[in-house]
Amino acid sequence: MAPVSAVRVHQFTASLSTRDAVSHHTLEVDTLLRQLGYETEIFAQHVHPDLRSRGRDYRDHDGLDADVLLYQASTGSPVADYLLGRNEPLVIDYHNLTPAALFEPWEPHISAELDFGRRQLARLARRASQGLADSRFNADELEAAGLDDVVVAPVLFEPPPLRPFTSAHVGEPPTLLFVGRLSPNKCQEDLISATAALRSWIPDVRLKLIGGTSSHRYEAALRDHAVRVCPGGVEFAGSVSETDLADAYAAADVFVCLSEHEGFCVPVIESMAAGTPVVAYAATVLPETIGDAGILLDDKSPTNVAVALERVLTDCELRAWLVEQGQARATTFSPESSRIRMRKALSAAIDRCV
Amino acid sequence: MTQPNATDSQAYINRVRAEIEAEAETRRRRDPELQRQEREIERAWIEVAPPGAAGSQGELLLDRADRLSMIDVDAPLGTKPGIRQLKGSIRKGVYWYLRYVTDQVNALNNVLTRLLRRFDERISSLEDAAAVADVGGLVDPVPEPDGAVADTVASILADHAGRVVVLGCGSGVLVRPLHDAGVAVHGVDVDALAILPGVRSGLDLRAGEPASHLAAARAGEFGAVVAAGFVEDLGPAAAQRVVEQAIAAVGNGTVVIATGDPADRDVIDRELRVGRGLSPATWAYLFGRTGATVDLVETADPRLRTLVVARLA
Repeated sequence: MAPVSAVRVHQFTASLSTRDAVSHHTLEVDTLLRQLGYETEIFAQHVHPDLRSRGRDYRDHDGLDADVLLYQASTGSPVADYLLGRNEPLVIDYHNLTPAALFEPWEPHISAELDFGRRQLARLARRASQGLADSRFNADELEAAGLDDVVVAPVLFEPPPLRPFTSAHVGEPPTLLFVGRLSPNKCQEDLISATAALRSWIPDVRLKLIGGTSSHRYEAALRDHAVRVCPGGVEFAGSVSETDLADAYAAADVFVCLSEHEGFCVPVIESMAAGTPVVAYAATVLPETIGDAGILLDDKSPTNVAVALERVLTDCELRAWLVEQGQARATTFSPESSRIRMRKALSAAIDRCV
Repeated sequence: MTQPNATDSQAYINRVRAEIEAEAETRRRRDPELQRQEREIERAWIEVAPPGAAGSQGELLLDRADRLSMIDVDAPLGTKPGIRQLKGSIRKGVYWYLRYVTDQVNALNNVLTRLLRRFDERISSLEDAAAVADVGGLVDPVPEPDGAVADTVASILADHAGRVVVLGCGSGVLVRPLHDAGVAVHGVDVDALAILPGVRSGLDLRAGEPASHLAAARAGEFGAVVAAGFVEDLGPAAAQRVVEQAIAAVGNGTVVIATGDPADRDVIDRELRVGRGLSPATWAYLFGRTGATVDLVETADPRLRTLVVARLA
């Protein structure tokens, strides 16, 4: 085997941007690869101007030689087509693709892109030598796409700095929080509907939605829905700074997630780390991410979710238990332990390729 | 409530989940206003979401299709003088042509929405004829098996490898002896209130549709499937689906069907129950056709006299 320092691992992603989970993961993997002694670079279709020192346009790669190609797969992209044309061993790190059908009524062009991504994934899976995935759920999808050897390795993320937990009940209306882009797969309409139902019993409860938007049409419908069923009760906070995010986690009484589809859901772990109890719809990866440290619901009808939220808001013992379990669960995804697991998975995958 | 230790955290959280499901169900039954509110909230979302994005309420979607089916050829005019004149001239220029085209499109849309309405009426009349919705509460639910059946099922599955699922578990009569024997077992029942006592006593019982739970199972996910309660009213097609899905879910495992014989029902039960149901002999026949080894095991329960045990190994 060639000395480790001679191995060139070129990492690819569709987009390298700020405040994006896959981009952050890509940068962290870049750091890990350097620490492991590999020669590495990042190539992407879109590189944010602030990250030009960390990544290059993927078309610059043409003419360069690598020993291993590592692709961070999360959407359809010409980058994947480029990789399909290369001969080097390929490792896929799979972060999941939202099912196209969830976007189809709202943004047909995004739906087409996602559909394209699924077809690319099937081709990539047949071409790849090794696979990594940030959950068993994602690993199963990658294996179903045709890649036999998939190892679960955690997504690398930096939780926002911890703020002292503030009991938001004292003098403040109860606050429900969700963090994630306004996107049809995240079903923020169900959060609004559940908040509306909960207001029958807790009239001053508020819902705070943090995150940018993936569909302006969807956002407009959400705002209309909020005005109709929950007037004055929903705050669309948009994208916020790390500090504001940490404050929001600390001030929230419950983190609630009713997504129809998630690939990992980092905010769930962030809220657990911040001591905020979690209530979620038991779909796709969420049972795996949450484990027994949150309330998982099989039915997300407004009444069912509202009853669960009311229970967490009013049952002090349950709340204390969820906080304790959540914090214990979050430590299993702490940056330190995740880096150790990812380092091991990466070096094993690369060793098998060279 | 006492705070649980780490070892029974799963049982604790299962209990909380079951209590939440049961509480929601109780409130819905107690307060019709709550059901109305849920419908209003759903309707509000359907009205702002594009077709296909929300809800399954056919009537609301039909109303929406009706409204959208008419294309208005008159473009709205602005109030500012310049824009008004500009739009006015554009309208005059293209009106004669657009009018011709939209008249045809409107006619087609009108026919299609009328056709949809006719289909909707026809489906409603078929539902009325089947009277599925109305007779559900006229007869008592199927009683749970007695302890003798539970002990028989437990003895059949005592040394079984893999997880056991009891579909239509009710309060957990069939789950209890398996759980006590250390078998990895969970139950599923559509009635959130029925499972609550079992969950509170530490059983892993989940509120959900048994048939959907079986349909969603991965190939070979379970070592054994026990089906009771919900299988009593299944017709031939639904029963055949259960057979196929259960076989897929157990791989080389075992399927146990606990059902009464429809021939034993009294006349009222026979005539008013929604589905007719299949006898143990017919279930045995369906499993036998797949190549499974099928045994009919006698029990001491006067209603569930015979269990169908299909072994796939």
